[in-house]
Amino acid sequence: MLAKLALAGIKNRRRDYLVLLAGLTMSAAIFYMFANLATNKAFISANAVVSQAVIIFGFGAVLLILISLVYIMYANSFLLSMRQHDYGVFMMLGAKRRRIGQLVFLETLILGTIATAIGIGLGLAMSKFLVGFLLNLLGLHLAHLQAVYVPAIIATAVLYVGLFVLASLFNLLHLTRSTVLKLLHSDDQADQPKVNPGKQIGQALLGIVLLAIGYWALAAIKLLQVMAIPIALVTITCGTYLLFRATLLVVIRALRHTSWAKKHLNGFLLGQLNFRVYNYTRMLTIVSLLFAMALGAITVGSGYHRQLPQMAGSFDAYTLAVHNVTPKQQKLINQLHVSHQATYTQKRQGKVVYYNATELRQQPFEQLRTTGKSLGKNQYYTESLSAFQKKGLAGMDFQNLAIRGAYTFYTPKILKAQQFSRQAGKTMTVTTLRVKNMQQDQRVLKHLNQTELDRYPLPTGMTVGSYQSFTMMNAFFGGLEFMGYFLGIAFLAMLASCLMFKILSGAPGDQRRYRMLYKVGVRQGLMRAGIAKEIGILFLIPGIMGIVDVLFGLQMFKPLMQAPMSPYLGIGSTFLIFIGLYAIYYVITLALYWRIVLPKQAD
Amino acid sequence: MTTKAVVSVSDLEKTYGKPNERQYTALKGLNFTVDAGEFVGIMGASGSGKTTLLNMLSTLDTPTKGDVVVNGHDVTKMRGNQLADFRAEEVGFIFQDFNLLESLTAEENIGLPLALKGTSSKVMDQAIHEVAATLSISDLLTKYPAELSGGQKQRVAAARAIVHHPAILMGDEPTGALDSTSARELLDLMTTINEQQKMSVLLVTHDPFSASFCQRILFIKDGQIGSELRRGEQDRRAFYQQILNELGTFNE
Repeated sequence: MLAKLALAGIKNRRRDYLVLLAGLTMSAAIFYMFANLATNKAFISANAVVSQAVIIFGFGAVLLILISLVYIMYANSFLLSMRQHDYGVFMMLGAKRRRIGQLVFLETLILGTIATAIGIGLGLAMSKFLVGFLLNLLGLHLAHLQAVYVPAIIATAVLYVGLFVLASLFNLLHLTRSTVLKLLHSDDQADQPKVNPGKQIGQALLGIVLLAIGYWALAAIKLLQVMAIPIALVTITCGTYLLFRATLLVVIRALRHTSWAKKHLNGFLLGQLNFRVYNYTRMLTIVSLLFAMALGAITVGSGYHRQLPQMAGSFDAYTLAVHNVTPKQQKLINQLHVSHQATYTQKRQGKVVYYNATELRQQPFEQLRTTGKSLGKNQYYTESLSAFQKKGLAGMDFQNLAIRGAYTFYTPKILKAQQFSRQAGKTMTVTTLRVKNMQQDQRVLKHLNQTELDRYPLPTGMTVGSYQSFTMMNAFFGGLEFMGYFLGIAFLAMLASCLMFKILSGAPGDQRRYRMLYKVGVRQGLMRAGIAKEIGILFLIPGIMGIVDVLFGLQMFKPLMQAPMSPYLGIGSTFLIFIGLYAIYYVITLALYWRIVLPKQAD
Repeated sequence: MTTKAVVSVSDLEKTYGKPNERQYTALKGLNFTVDAGEFVGIMGASGSGKTTLLNMLSTLDTPTKGDVVVNGHDVTKMRGNQLADFRAEEVGFIFQDFNLLESLTAEENIGLPLALKGTSSKVMDQAIHEVAATLSISDLLTKYPAELSGGQKQRVAAARAIVHHPAILMGDEPTGALDSTSARELLDLMTTINEQQKMSVLLVTHDPFSASFCQRILFIKDGQIGSELRRGEQDRRAFYQQILNELGTFNE
């Protein structure tokens, strides 16, 4: 009978349960996708050539486990907040504690198991389609990537069901230990923390010290190796929490005594914040960490995405060299965004390739500046023909235009126009192309490169032009780039559902409070503005903290993005896009909260 | 003493439900007035339309037909912010379930109507301390509602209701959740406020004891005013007996 009643309670809150289930399912699906990438040995050994990459994958896994843990705790507290009133009523009516305990345990566990099962299914589907889509979008290819990987399925199932067993036990203890009254009136209980200046300052200082240690650990990843990550994770989390806890309370208390607090709803806003300060402190800590990790991961991913072409470009003066351009190739070339193009006539005889001095004077061969180059920008220069004769002629880039065999070249010689026209030999033209951005022209370049290779196959171990370097580097760093984007999106999704839970678990209490304000005669506009401020604070503080975290955290990637790459290069635009996304989140959250909480107008 | 009406209700009707659905008429053409400085009670059994009436008067709900004029404002013609401002300035409320914001201290709760008006903090502090002294809750000001007893909470709510000197104080079963001692204290307080500040009071209740503090009582039955009692020069006990007698015949 009791079970039936409990089930009826669930039915009444179908929508809330759906959100809860959806959130947990997403979390399990994301974990599966990651576990699939991180535990697949064949995949890792094929893609993670750089030694630190293995650390990064491990880091990602640990991070995701911790985040999942926190996330489930959050979801669980939401579940509990939904249910404890019902169970309180049952107990008041005389239901046995043991029976209630069993029900709670079962309810949590069943919900968790369903979420895990659907989550793994979703994870499989997403691995197949979404991961493929993302890779395609980034123009990457990852070897040995498969959707179904049994060890990952097992890992996800074990972790999630295990976590839910823990959550169930926690709920069981919570419900059977709390008094009935406390369960019935949980919404009215306020945090009324005492302010003790000495303790407060101590907490703040400790928080800052912990943060400093965490930031240092990230920067010193070369020294600390794998240890850097757990150290940073623990210290930054605790540091952020302590700092928030110490400062928030003091700031709120200080503001409450100003005359600002006595205008309109400001006092109410401060009261709300103070009322749930510990709840909010935890919330802000988690959101700031998720924010930092999402932003950090996406920054690294887009850093690679943007900088790989640049890095590859720093190896050669031209992107691709095409011999005897065919009409079909010309069509492809026309589709490219060319920044520099030159065509030279070659005459090959014996071990020598002859060039026409007139052509080279008219179109001096562009070379790459190798000294004193500025970060993130490749510079090119040309020399006078006589200077080129002495130095540039021996440059790899120029020699590469005529390859004779593996690691052997025709010796270039420059002849005066008359001599050149008399010179015997196999005549052909070579066109060097440099595009503005290899990423942008990737598809056409791939095609063009293939047609060139079909006609003039390169000896193994030889490369011509930076496009070859680019494809090689994509194979090297593509895994990291993908990881960055993937984790970034995963954390962003979790951030969204964490905020969603905050809304749903806080809304019933707020609904009552805003109803009271409405009765007392508060204008709708004022209430709207008040809610906007409260939610705004929940978004703004972790946003700022998250950006600080990322600015320090990017240090960790310095060894992986060595000059001319840098994890800090061009972060401005990435940050702007991310902040834009975050702002959209804010607006959606706010609109939802308004809809749930604001009382309907009488007319 | 002037006999200017603070509340005047004419032909008030309220029908719930959409025209093509099953409808229920809670109020069927009510007419009455409350004069300035009067202490009026509205009595009736559950479902007689007491709360509906109060919701109309306080603009929490809109009538289907008829007019409600409170302190010169035609309530039925107001919209949106006008309604909110009207509630904030002209009406003071005491609810059965206190309706205190548990995230604010007693002081902040009391100051809320003034904060909404944008009163300067100096004036606000003064007004809060004055009203707190009147209701003898000065020592409770820094406490949160969760730390107060029911009677104390209701006194804080009363302070909030009168701190901005509204035209009329409305109580919806304000003693409903209180023990008899606290209830008596609150009713004495309301009487004091009525007498000293000449504030009109409208009390909705089904409790004869509470009603006996009024000067005039309107009995509502099936959405209409059934009868009316005036206390006149009688003492409260005699009036109480009269109410009981009236209820005895009224409910038959």
